[in-house]
Amino acid sequence: MGTGLAVLGLAGLTSAFAFVALVLAAWMAWRIVEKAGLPGWTGLGAVLLTLTAVGTIVPLILLWIFAFMRWPRDELALAPASRTAAGSGAGNATAVAPAALPPPPKALADGRGWTLAGKLADGTAVSLSIDESSPTWMLTGAAAAQPTDLSVPDPSVGQPHARLMVAGARLGLADLGSAGGTLVDGARLLPEHGPRDITSVRTIRLGGVELALSRV
Amino acid sequence: MPDTFTLYHLITWLLGIGSFFLLVLLIGHVLVALVLIIPTWRICVRAGFSGAWSLLHLIPVIGSFVVMAILAFGDWPNGEAPSRSG
Repeated sequence: MGTGLAVLGLAGLTSAFAFVALVLAAWMAWRIVEKAGLPGWTGLGAVLLTLTAVGTIVPLILLWIFAFMRWPRDELALAPASRTAAGSGAGNATAVAPAALPPPPKALADGRGWTLAGKLADGTAVSLSIDESSPTWMLTGAAAAQPTDLSVPDPSVGQPHARLMVAGARLGLADLGSAGGTLVDGARLLPEHGPRDITSVRTIRLGGVELALSRV
Repeated sequence: MPDTFTLYHLITWLLGIGSFFLLVLLIGHVLVALVLIIPTWRICVRAGFSGAWSLLHLIPVIGSFVVMAILAFGDWPNGEAPSRSG
């Protein structure tokens, strides 16, 4: 009798743990797929499928599909026009500038910045300005979400792709491990290399986009 | 009653078969974890995290939950879609 109760108690405890784990996993799956831009219920449903006869195989297949499918988040990030793509077409006139205040006047006379200029694969000109108003700038293939985001709207450019660092009259660049890769004057820059001084560099390549660096 | 020689052989046999099953269990666990690690590695990288987080799947029972928690509750460095639930 006592043993039977103990077994029943153990089974109940195990079931309780399994139930809590299932609820937790379903909740987290909901949040993860939402962050990717999919409806939350798809993640929840995938986890709850483990309760059905199809067992864990279908959720596993769904996990693989989710990992390799195109996420709506990526499409949303590429859709809006970039604030920094300075093309000659009328389409760029609709680019929304971020609601940021202009940088304060420089205390030093030599407040010169840098310009990265080049052309995208579709021929659109892109020109990015970097100055000392921020110590770091983010090069990204997505639309600029922050005033310090420098948008290079090209599919080969990561989101984000690389970080620029301004320190006085020096400019640094760190690759963030994007698939497209970063080249500094033709030499591959890897995330393991850390920040690289590019003050005297002529060109950097982000994925398939080559940008000429100049001091202004 | 078995003599010492028989008992020695019995223990050796049990240890051998136990080690074999442990090895099979370990290999099976790594193979199953690998099926989870590959897609999770890609998800982590696309989210902006290090793909190495997916290796947590190698930790039995709680490893998968930890990876999911990182993806679910951490801010994705590569950006997130606007929340539908607000």
